[in-house]
Amino acid sequence: MNTTPYIYTFLLAIISSCLIDNVVLSRFYGICPFIGVSKKVKSAFSMGVAVTFVIILAALICWPLYHFVLLPLQIPFMDILTYILVIASLVQIVGLFIKKFSAPLYQSFGIYLPLITTNCAVLGVVQTNTDTALSFGLSMANAIGTSLGFLLVIVLFSTMRERIEEYNGNKAFKGVPIALISAAILAMAFMGLMGIGAK
Amino acid sequence: MSDTLRLVIAIGVILFLLATFIVTFILYKRTPAPKGCENMGPNKERCKNCEMSCHLNIYADRKENE
Repeated sequence: MNTTPYIYTFLLAIISSCLIDNVVLSRFYGICPFIGVSKKVKSAFSMGVAVTFVIILAALICWPLYHFVLLPLQIPFMDILTYILVIASLVQIVGLFIKKFSAPLYQSFGIYLPLITTNCAVLGVVQTNTDTALSFGLSMANAIGTSLGFLLVIVLFSTMRERIEEYNGNKAFKGVPIALISAAILAMAFMGLMGIGAK
Repeated sequence: MSDTLRLVIAIGVILFLLATFIVTFILYKRTPAPKGCENMGPNKERCKNCEMSCHLNIYADRKENE
């Protein structure tokens, strides 16, 4: 069996959801941590890694849950409620393991982990996977690509903000206003990637 | 399958998920924090990660007002 087309599609899906259809800059999910936790590169990276971890795990659990529990029981209307509870439980379980087995990880993730429960990017990915009827492989590709896209953008934005902090210009632009303008410019830069692959 | 049965199953699924969440929450709270991480709540000196007000960083506004 030739697996090359599948691998190609898988990689294409990852790149597409990471760069072209970026979760933050083109779908506007996960704006709260994007603005709130991007003042320092270290904390932005921690948040990005934690979100990556939870998105991939949530996609891994929610896809089978929808297709093997909610659909056969004829209760697909329960999807959002189910996903919210699964994500909340997942965050607690991940937090519990980190707390128990890895002190350094707990120290860096500690305060960010509970915040992921309220990150709509996680719910958005899981919901997109089931709404667009993606296969399990493509769902995982979407989850991996989306989470890597989130990590990339939050780290890029934090490096920009660290430099912007040194800006001593108009007071009206200081802080959040200049951060939002920078985010808009970053979004426009990512829009330039939309033509990739078009014939 | 009748609508009533579907409703009962839906409520059962929700109750199961809620129970799972409550159990994981209790387990998380009962697990002792690693050494040196016992006090990871709001801390004026240490909590400078985002400088925005939240339940973890209640000092941001005060800092701005000072």
